[in-house]
Amino acid sequence: MIPDWMKEVEVGPCKCSAVHHGKKGFVGKTIDGIFGFLEEAFVSESYSKRSGLLQGLDPRAKLVSILAVVFATSLIGDLKLLIFVYALTLLFAYLSKIDVGFFIKRVWLFIPIFAGIIATPMIFNIFIPGDPLIGVAYLGTGAHLGPLALPDSIYITRQGAVAAVIFTMRVATCVSAVVLLFITTPQQTLFKSLRTVGVPKVYVLTLEMAYRYIFLLMDLVREMYVAKKARTIKARGIFEEQRWVGGRMGYTLIRSLDMSEKVHMAMLSRGFSGDVKIMQEFKMHNRDYVAGAMAISLSVVLVLISHNIIRI
Amino acid sequence: MKTIFDLRNVSYSYVGKIDALKDVSLKIGLGEHVSIIGSNGSGKSTLLAILNGLIYPTSGDFYAFDNQITEEVFDSIKDNEFRTYFRTKVGFVFQNSDVQLFSPTVFQEIAFGPLQLNISPQEVTTRVENVLEMMQITKLRDRSPHTLSGGEKKKVCIASVLVNNPDVLLLDEPSAGLDPRTQLWLVELLQELGAAGKTIITATHDLEIIDQISKRAIVMGEDHRVKKDGPTIEVLDDMALLLSVNLVHEHMHFHGKTVHEHIHAHIDGHKHEHGNN
Repeated sequence: MIPDWMKEVEVGPCKCSAVHHGKKGFVGKTIDGIFGFLEEAFVSESYSKRSGLLQGLDPRAKLVSILAVVFATSLIGDLKLLIFVYALTLLFAYLSKIDVGFFIKRVWLFIPIFAGIIATPMIFNIFIPGDPLIGVAYLGTGAHLGPLALPDSIYITRQGAVAAVIFTMRVATCVSAVVLLFITTPQQTLFKSLRTVGVPKVYVLTLEMAYRYIFLLMDLVREMYVAKKARTIKARGIFEEQRWVGGRMGYTLIRSLDMSEKVHMAMLSRGFSGDVKIMQEFKMHNRDYVAGAMAISLSVVLVLISHNIIRI
Repeated sequence: MKTIFDLRNVSYSYVGKIDALKDVSLKIGLGEHVSIIGSNGSGKSTLLAILNGLIYPTSGDFYAFDNQITEEVFDSIKDNEFRTYFRTKVGFVFQNSDVQLFSPTVFQEIAFGPLQLNISPQEVTTRVENVLEMMQITKLRDRSPHTLSGGEKKKVCIASVLVNNPDVLLLDEPSAGLDPRTQLWLVELLQELGAAGKTIITATHDLEIIDQISKRAIVMGEDHRVKKDGPTIEVLDDMALLLSVNLVHEHMHFHGKTVHEHIHAHIDGHKHEHGNN
């Protein structure tokens, strides 16, 4: 049945040796990225199952409390107060048995992306005029950038630097609070608790399903890349590789569309008729009411202080 | 025996071009145990999807519980009593477990069906707990579907259908990818459900299990038509038929140091004579 050339078996010693060839290719990097994501999801899930302070609270109380704190934080203009709230989030992370080092790293990893781009221009006198702190460049009189007139010299201002620090700190505090909510609550309960703040059932269901299928599609992508790695005998040109990636993206999209259709069929088959019915399994305890009341009170006090109604 | 499904000259083609079923006529009675067998792409899964009212014949008529099933009846936005009745009575275990497991946890997955039936949350919880226990998967209760093994996923899928207590069970390749122990467990479960009076319709190409789970076999040919509809034993004995629909094949294999070729299917005790080549 098999052709003659296939009957040849030749296993001789390899004339080459395995040597390091520099940086990892995009296939390797993508596989690493996928494993990184799965690992992070796993670590977050393990934190949410620990018996810490926040894990013991009803997710609805936690969601409302954290939202209140985030709202109040966004109104605070005082750096000391922001540092105080940030320290509070660290304290709660510690009390919830979360590795504080991991927590800080996780929050500050995103800050340069969220806040850095917005905050960096603020420190220069082009955007916020003020007292010079550090000189950057002298442009001379009548400098222009296209139609924009530039000042004689560009420097970092004291006021700009303070505003940038306050802005960054505010973002960091808000992100800390939200990350705290995410890693102390299992995903499925977190999504469900969104119902309490008025998110319609159908969005909650869609969110839950989307989260569940991320893992499946992630696995599909991982398998494709691993299969590609297994069959890559020699490196190909960048355009060839890009074409391959484009093709796989299209394939993943088609697979996900096909799957969504089948998932819908599976739902119909079990009686789904467009009206979403989900189980509410939450029970509020006294401690949840106390926690909610405390968080809301703290938020009110923060707002009052930041507007100089209460002076400290 | 009361007829529950009645297909009259049903054909189905995907996007009007790719034929999946051609001129299929058959009746299935309440309490019957039927296997639909055929090679890959012969139309087994399409037939099951039609029986579950998920897709509709391109031509021909399909009647279920004495009502004609049409797109107009089934796909209406407004709630309709017959559809609810049908969905309660007929359960479908999909071939790909992942399309059926769309909830975040095993518990919620199994609770999805009964919740659609407007049962009180307490009763839903009791039912789910019972089914978890019956299927011996209580320990998986709070796990996410993506962390389960293939066999565990299949068990959760079956549990999520059985929890609605359907009278008719449609199963698409239920034994595919299962280890021998889980396969045996599945066969025993289907036998038990069959003995309880459920109608069980299984699409498969695993000839090893069909005589254990069904008394009647419907053979689908590669031309998407029904080639034979009769007692399972008779179908399994008809080697010429099985060869023609690509369910058995000429096969070379080893017995100790002896190599020989013969017609082969994965049926218990298939007969062959050893040659000395």
